[in-house]
Amino acid sequence: MLEKMKEIIAGQLNVNAEDVKPESRFKEDLNADSLDLFELVMALEDEYSVEIPSEELEKLLTVQDVCDYLKNHGVEA
Amino acid sequence: MQTRITKLLEIEYPVIQGGMAWVANAALAANVSKAGGIGFIGAANAPAEWVRSEIRRAKEITDKPIGVNVMLLSEHVDEVAQVVAEEGVKAVTTGAGNPAKYMKQWKEARIRVIPVVASVAMARMMERAGADAIVAEGMESGGHIGEQTTMSLLPQVVDAVSVPVIGAGGIGDGRGMAAALMLGAEAVQLGTRFIVAKESTVSQAYKDRVIGAKDIDSVVTGRSTGHPVRSLRNTMTRQYLEMEKNNVSFEELEHLTLGALRKAVVDGDVAMGTVMAGQIAGMIKKEQTCAEIIQEIVQEAKETIKKCSIFAEDSCGNEAEHA
Repeated sequence: MLEKMKEIIAGQLNVNAEDVKPESRFKEDLNADSLDLFELVMALEDEYSVEIPSEELEKLLTVQDVCDYLKNHGVEA
Repeated sequence: MQTRITKLLEIEYPVIQGGMAWVANAALAANVSKAGGIGFIGAANAPAEWVRSEIRRAKEITDKPIGVNVMLLSEHVDEVAQVVAEEGVKAVTTGAGNPAKYMKQWKEARIRVIPVVASVAMARMMERAGADAIVAEGMESGGHIGEQTTMSLLPQVVDAVSVPVIGAGGIGDGRGMAAALMLGAEAVQLGTRFIVAKESTVSQAYKDRVIGAKDIDSVVTGRSTGHPVRSLRNTMTRQYLEMEKNNVSFEELEHLTLGALRKAVVDGDVAMGTVMAGQIAGMIKKEQTCAEIIQEIVQEAKETIKKCSIFAEDSCGNEAEHA
C-alpha cells in the first residue's frame, strides 16, 4: 500500500515520491498547508473508498499516521 | 429577497456582516441584525469572557439573530467555543482552520455552523462534517486571505456542495451582491463596507483612511510567512514589504505587526497600525447607518439584476438606448 500511497501523496503535494517516507511529517517535511491536507484526504478517500472524518485530520501528522488510520479502518495493507 | 440563507438564519435580507477582529463588536453586529441582515461579533484572539459580554450586550440592543465568528487559531478557542454554546447565538462562522471538533457541541446548542473556506475540498469536508452553510471567501477580502479570487472560488464551491453558499471578498455594493448571486451564492458577506458604518466604533482615523482609499491602496503583506494579510498601504506596510524583500527573520516581521490592528482600530494610528480592509475600499465614499447600507445594497442588487435581464433577450429591445 505504501508505494501507491506515496504516489498519491507526492502527486497531491507536488513533491518527489522518494521524499515521501513513513516518518515524513506533512507540514514540516512535505510543506503541506491545511488546504493541501484537505485535498490529500479527499484523494485518499477516493482511492481507498474510505471516509476520513474531518475531526481526524489534526491527528494525521505523518505518512505513517495515515497508513495506520487506513489499516485500522479495514483498508488492506 | 428570500433565499435558503434567509430562511436558515431567520433574517430579512441575505446580507451578512463579517466578524472582523477588533472591529466587529456588539454595537456593530447588533445594528446590522436590527437592520434585517445578520451581524457577527469577531471573537478573534479575545478571551472568552469578552465574547460572553459582547453577546449579552448585542442581545440587549436587539432580539434579532446574532452570530459570532470564531477564529480557530486563537489560544482561547476552546473556551470561546464553550461560551458561544452556553450563551446561544443563531450562527457561528469559523475562520483559520477546521471547526470539526466543535461541530457537535454547537449543533447541540442549535447553532448554525458556517465555516469560511478557501478551497473546494475544504468545503466538501465541512459539508460532510455537518456544516449548515459555507462562506466562500476570495482573496479580495481584507485581513487574512487565501489564494483564489471570489470570481473563481465561489462558483466552484457552489458546484461542490449542496448546502447554501455565502459569497465573500470583493463585495462592496449591490452590483457585487448581484454578481455573487449570479455565481450561485444565496447571501453575501461584507466586511469593509461595515467598517465605516455610523454604528461602528472604530477610530475616526481608521474610517477616514478607508473612505479616502483608492483602488491601488490595497496591499498584501506576509506572503513570505505563509500568512498573507490584506490591508491599506501605509508606513508600516512599506517597511514590512521592504523587510520581506530583504529576507529578514519571521520574528522581526512579527514584531512589526504585533498589536498593529489594535493600534489602527482603537488608537487611530493608521501610519504604523494595520488598516485591514478589502480591495473594494476604493469604492467606499461615506459613512452610513447599517440600515442605510443594507437597504442600498439590496435595492441596488435588485436593480442591477433587472437591468441585466436585457442580456438574456436574443435581440436588444431598445436600440436607441444602446447607441
